[in-house]
Amino acid sequence: MPSENRIKIFPKSVVCEESNLRGDITFSSGCVVHPSATVIADAGPIIIGENCIIEEYATIAHRLEPGASWDANNILSIGTHNVFEVGCNVEAARIGDKNVFESKCFVGRGVTVTSGCVVGAGIKMLTSQRLSENTIVYGEQALQREAIDKQGSQTLQIDFLRKVLPNYHHLRKPNYDPKKARSVV
Amino acid sequence: MSFMQPSPVKYACSCGILNPINKLFFCRHCPKLRCGYCVTHEIESHFCSNCLENIPSTEARHKKNCCANCFDCPCCQHTLSARATTVPVVRKSEESKDAKKPEDESGDSPAAASTPPTPASSKPSAVPTTKKMYYLSCLSCRWTSRDAGIPDQGVATGTWPDNECLYQARFNSLVEYFQAVVLQEKQEKMEFMRRKTPKQHKFPSLTDRTGLTVSLIRRQMGWNDKTIPKAKAVITPAEATAEVEELPADIFTEPLNLRNVTTIAQRHSQPADQPTAVSSLYPQRRTLWIKRSLRCRQCEHNLIKPEYHPTSIKYRIQLFASCHVPEVVMVRCEQSLASGKSNAILLKFTNPTMYDMTIRLLTTAPTEDAEPAAEGSRIKEEPVSSSPHLRAAGITLSRQNSTREVKREVTDVSNAEIVPLESEFVLSQRDDSKEFDEYVQLPTEEPKFIVWRKGNKVLIRLQFTPAEELPANTDVVLGFAMQYTYVNTVTNAPEKKEPTTHALYSRVFINAGATEQKAN
Amino acid sequence: MEIPDTFYSKDEYVETASGNKVSRHTVLCGSQNIVLNGKVIVQSGAIIRGDLANVRAGRYCVIGKDSVIRPPYKQFSKGIAFFPMHIGDHVFIGEGAVVSAASIGSCVYIGKNAIIGRRCILKDCCVIEDGAVLPPETTVASYMRYTVKGTIEGAQGNPYFVPAAMQDEMINYTKSFYEHFVRTPAPAS
Repeated sequence: MPSENRIKIFPKSVVCEESNLRGDITFSSGCVVHPSATVIADAGPIIIGENCIIEEYATIAHRLEPGASWDANNILSIGTHNVFEVGCNVEAARIGDKNVFESKCFVGRGVTVTSGCVVGAGIKMLTSQRLSENTIVYGEQALQREAIDKQGSQTLQIDFLRKVLPNYHHLRKPNYDPKKARSVV
Repeated sequence: MSFMQPSPVKYACSCGILNPINKLFFCRHCPKLRCGYCVTHEIESHFCSNCLENIPSTEARHKKNCCANCFDCPCCQHTLSARATTVPVVRKSEESKDAKKPEDESGDSPAAASTPPTPASSKPSAVPTTKKMYYLSCLSCRWTSRDAGIPDQGVATGTWPDNECLYQARFNSLVEYFQAVVLQEKQEKMEFMRRKTPKQHKFPSLTDRTGLTVSLIRRQMGWNDKTIPKAKAVITPAEATAEVEELPADIFTEPLNLRNVTTIAQRHSQPADQPTAVSSLYPQRRTLWIKRSLRCRQCEHNLIKPEYHPTSIKYRIQLFASCHVPEVVMVRCEQSLASGKSNAILLKFTNPTMYDMTIRLLTTAPTEDAEPAAEGSRIKEEPVSSSPHLRAAGITLSRQNSTREVKREVTDVSNAEIVPLESEFVLSQRDDSKEFDEYVQLPTEEPKFIVWRKGNKVLIRLQFTPAEELPANTDVVLGFAMQYTYVNTVTNAPEKKEPTTHALYSRVFINAGATEQKAN
Repeated sequence: MEIPDTFYSKDEYVETASGNKVSRHTVLCGSQNIVLNGKVIVQSGAIIRGDLANVRAGRYCVIGKDSVIRPPYKQFSKGIAFFPMHIGDHVFIGEGAVVSAASIGSCVYIGKNAIIGRRCILKDCCVIEDGAVLPPETTVASYMRYTVKGTIEGAQGNPYFVPAAMQDEMINYTKSFYEHFVRTPAPAS
């Protein structure tokens, strides 16, 4: 693991200072990170795609396997338009686009989440599996079904939060501009 | 230590079942404790728990006890909500080609539907306008009415089609037939009863204009009465057939996708057709709920009568035990529990009434003087329901019969010896204004077992010894009979105006906790 | 059972003039939009998102440890809006609960780790069991109990699910919880 945190924040993303970020993390543009959200990149870098929302007490973790060490090539890549709701705990191996992780769900490390999936509130997914596109995991028994279409994107919510959050919170400054020279970071 | 956890203090109901005080009621007329099992439950009002609308009982029956506006998700049984989308409508013009838009709308994603792609304005006459359309959506499992192939509706409620299953017509005719059968049997029975009753006069009175004479004469002449309509058997009996549809050929070759097969719960929620494929799941009308009123089976007075309106939390009659019987709260044991070791428990008594109470703790229940046997044993005639149609449908809205109270012996589960208190003590009346007063401890002579006294509350110290032979890790249960004076403000006898004072008792059992391991 | 005393250290909690006891280890965003009507306890780790919309809590509410109070939003065709959230009097919110309800009536009990979805309506005197999950837009009527299994049980006059005297019970419970929420006595030196 690198000695200090390397947080890359693209322009137009809103990252509250009260969030807990550890390791090498890249927030693409349009991301919103609420206070008390946690992102841990112990095993390798985490790259979060555009327009993701990470709410309070949500945890995204890229944890070390027992005996493993930091590997800069072991990248956890998270796609675009994902929503991590309050108190969810996501350690999935791979996450595609337009997924919703509802409140207090747990997604274990063996799970591969493709696109358009919804993991319902309070559901614990521990066994290794691959959620095919548009899978909805719902209910007390964590049943699965396939939705006829993908969930609507959250761009409107992001627009609102980008307007409101700076009025109330100290934000981490965007520090990486892809248009500028590569030598910035 | 929330109040949602089971209370260690239980009261014995007059039927012999142990209950915490918040599940008990107190019949002021008997006066006795009653629990949910020894009262009659009656329907007070129907309502929908989702839209919180009160539905009169006739309408509820007509709607088959379902809400007219609310639907349950067929997939996860959660409530469906109506979602709006804006759909582009191509206004019809003279040379407009066939409107193809509304067809492919159902497949669109909600996001795409809310931001409709502007149709290529080929003709100036085809002005694109938008129209609000609604579909039902489940916010738990994301099922939508589009999954079932139900077209979007122009209004949010009221127009959703009902799922008529194949057997609906036959089922309706069966219901109709058997309702007629029941009605006929009932009328025959009534006729029979009337014939059996001794006639007051030998000859029918001429002033009787009810047609009774005619029917009598008809019967005397040996003609059958034509007033009773015969149930017409218009239904054809079901026929068994040996021919069964062939299994589809691909059932052995196609891999089974479990996501397309319904679960047992989903099938049961749609009992009429019990679909096997998820595509034939259909929104189900939400069943109604009832408010209940509870009635004492002995004296037939109401114990609980809620307000009619679904959103009201008030009662018109509320006889909670916690408002009439002194409440015993276990505070703590002085020492850890061990078998055979004397211990003391702190108990808080609270007087919820407006009159002072004198309380005495008895280690054995006073033997009840032989109750007049007549009290509970009168069996009333079955109350006749108001509408015969109601009876025909098999619904009895009228109350259950008052039955003889089943006396169950209170099982004495106590396993500890209690040192009786040397005297009785007084619980002062409840006074809500005292809460705001400066509290002054009056130097009064108190019995030794009273730890403190504050308003209507008294904390007492009760000594006890768990039984010698108790193994470790068993719950120690203290049992005693609490005798208290109760001032009854209602009286059954109307001539007595002033409230009467009763000495009542109830048996109380306290689970003091588990005994410790012997090691320490 | 008598509620045992809950002790807090003097440094951890702030007590306001109206008797609110608020932990310092909480995240109260947009505190100017949060109204606590008095004798409200906000325990450590709780988050109240007043920055998204107004949050108002009545008297004698308990907001448990690590719970999140978050005004709900609704998406419209032209944007989204967060709605203000009203919590009645004598409401108990258990540890770790996530509450995004549109309104919560009085004398409501929300169990530990319950999840109340967006725009839910909890009427007076209802009970949400520990760990129950309410999908968005659920209405829980008075004297109803929302179970862990996702079913609704009870109704007024039904003695088995919610106590008939729920109002009195919650008033007593929240009041005595407040009275037993006391500062750690100074060590006798």
